[in-house]
Amino acid sequence: MKVNGRTIMAGKATGEVIKLDEPLSFLGGVDGSTGDLRVGRGGNVAGKILVFPKGKGSTVGSFVMYDLMVHGKAPAAVINESAETIVATGAVISSIPMVDSIPSVGMFQDGDVVTVDASSGEVEIADVRCRAVVSSVLEKDGKVLLLRRPKSIGSFPGLWSLVSGKIEEGESPEEAAAREIMEETAISVGSPDGSMDPIYVREGSTLWKVYPFLFHVGDAEPVLNEENEEFAWESPEGLDGKDLVTDTDLVVRRLMG
Amino acid sequence: MDLTKAEEAILNGESGEGMQKAMELVTALGKIYGAEDLIDITSAHLSGASYKTIGDGGLKYLEDMAAGGARVSVPSTLNPVGMDRGRWAEMHISQEFAEKQLRIIELYGKMGVRTTCSCTPYTGANVPSYGDHVAWAESSALSFVNSYIGARTNREGGPGALAAAILGKTANYGLHLDEKRKPTVVIEAEIDGSVFSYSMLGQAVGMAIGSGVPYFRGISPEVEEAKTLSAAMAASGSVALWHAEGVTPEAGSFDTSGLETIHIGKAELEAAYDKLNTVQDVQLIALGCPHLTEKEMHQIASFLKGKKKVNKDIEIWFCTSEEVRAKCPEDVRIMEEFGPVLADTCMVVAPIEGAFQRTGTNSAKAGNYLPTLCSQKAMCRDISALMELVM
Repeated sequence: MKVNGRTIMAGKATGEVIKLDEPLSFLGGVDGSTGDLRVGRGGNVAGKILVFPKGKGSTVGSFVMYDLMVHGKAPAAVINESAETIVATGAVISSIPMVDSIPSVGMFQDGDVVTVDASSGEVEIADVRCRAVVSSVLEKDGKVLLLRRPKSIGSFPGLWSLVSGKIEEGESPEEAAAREIMEETAISVGSPDGSMDPIYVREGSTLWKVYPFLFHVGDAEPVLNEENEEFAWESPEGLDGKDLVTDTDLVVRRLMG
Repeated sequence: MDLTKAEEAILNGESGEGMQKAMELVTALGKIYGAEDLIDITSAHLSGASYKTIGDGGLKYLEDMAAGGARVSVPSTLNPVGMDRGRWAEMHISQEFAEKQLRIIELYGKMGVRTTCSCTPYTGANVPSYGDHVAWAESSALSFVNSYIGARTNREGGPGALAAAILGKTANYGLHLDEKRKPTVVIEAEIDGSVFSYSMLGQAVGMAIGSGVPYFRGISPEVEEAKTLSAAMAASGSVALWHAEGVTPEAGSFDTSGLETIHIGKAELEAAYDKLNTVQDVQLIALGCPHLTEKEMHQIASFLKGKKKVNKDIEIWFCTSEEVRAKCPEDVRIMEEFGPVLADTCMVVAPIEGAFQRTGTNSAKAGNYLPTLCSQKAMCRDISALMELVM
């Protein structure tokens, strides 16, 4: 699959992803002469496609990137959600291709083979396909409806999920959300009461682009079809004890405030 | 970004690799901050001068830039370095550090940068005029020229300012634009007017607002006070521009009605003082952050004249620029009875952590950075209170 970012430093590179989920300070975070990562899951950045949300920390970080380049330990490319001065400066002075404005580092996994064409801003993740889905929070009296997926299903088997499903061709995310809710719970909804920007959830070679919605459903009770095995109304605090599909708690917390 | 044909040509490498690199950096930063185009600058002031702060990566970067023939195209000055060029042994500095530091200065010199190394270039070596667009690093100096002179600069980083100096242009966004120079908050200040009270005021304002453009009522800073206030707010917060009613050149052009007003008085100044004082005894007293002006040198010398340093366990450093030191030989003679008058360096960018753990200063800026950049416990008091510790 391909995604388009913004050029910060031009150039092309292909390599394996090493990813951090938190902002990175090159000063202290990376050894300038060896390329060893001292944060996250460790590893080494040399020749890798280094993916992290954004830079932080001391401005000396730019020179740590230069040090990496001098020692032949620089990453092959840098991908950020949003560039800031320190990392952008380091990438430019060290001629490390860099792209930002990538929707989420959640699209990537360690070991993904990624080709960065930083001159056009295009980033291609090999052997990953993107699927657009909706995922709806149905809220009643401060509780959220969870559905248990069958153990036999291919995606997230046996886990509790929101009311989710694929967006069909020609369908808007809102339409897909209403259709899935009707199919899976027999509850009729109007326009969503809330939504947020899509989030990205990786499951093996599939990247789910998830459009989250919120619906207040009054006193409705779900009638399940064959897609799910059971349902439960759960308070946001009660989610912690359940086996959930990735980022379900994040969506509930954001949409239910 | 909207580049001219000539700028595009530089970006495409038609003026050589050094110019291309500089253009890549200025345009990349411009893109991040939403600049629409570039703007000509009349001067630059560069940070990233101390070997302590830039390390071997920075040194190699400067080696490569200089070897590539990079040269600044506008008058450019340099921040303080990690030691006094002639007296580094008195600062407990190693031979290796000294050699690398001298090399860094030499490399900036090769690129055409004037190597008087001071954080107060606006008192002599590099003085912008009202309305000038400039590219300055050094948070205290850029805030001073923005605010007290009415020149226009963003908070540039070291390599970004060097790239701008090479091109003679920087990205046009932020404080280069009228809209971004408007006050965002009114500060009703109640202080005693001493230089030290400006240090505490700046600390308190930085703590209260973090960033933004404060508009002061009730203060009348001269150069020394403005220098101190700028430094303090840039260290405790990230303030790069402030206005003072009836004092600074742009203050009269704004309508402040409708802005939030914050009162800074006794309680806030005490909270600022407490934040900066974490130790009761010190090994080093360091004055001159930002660098002492001629007036401050005279004041300190007349305070010290006829007095004796009794406590030999505490060292004292006076930090100023080479220019100012050369202008005040009589003051220097008196001050040297108490400790070295060091030129072109300071307690923040020198590697003092090798020799000291507890340092006293009269500067809120140093008070903020001594713990983080120099691993010190810090004391922050006015000069006479600090000097009492050794008399």
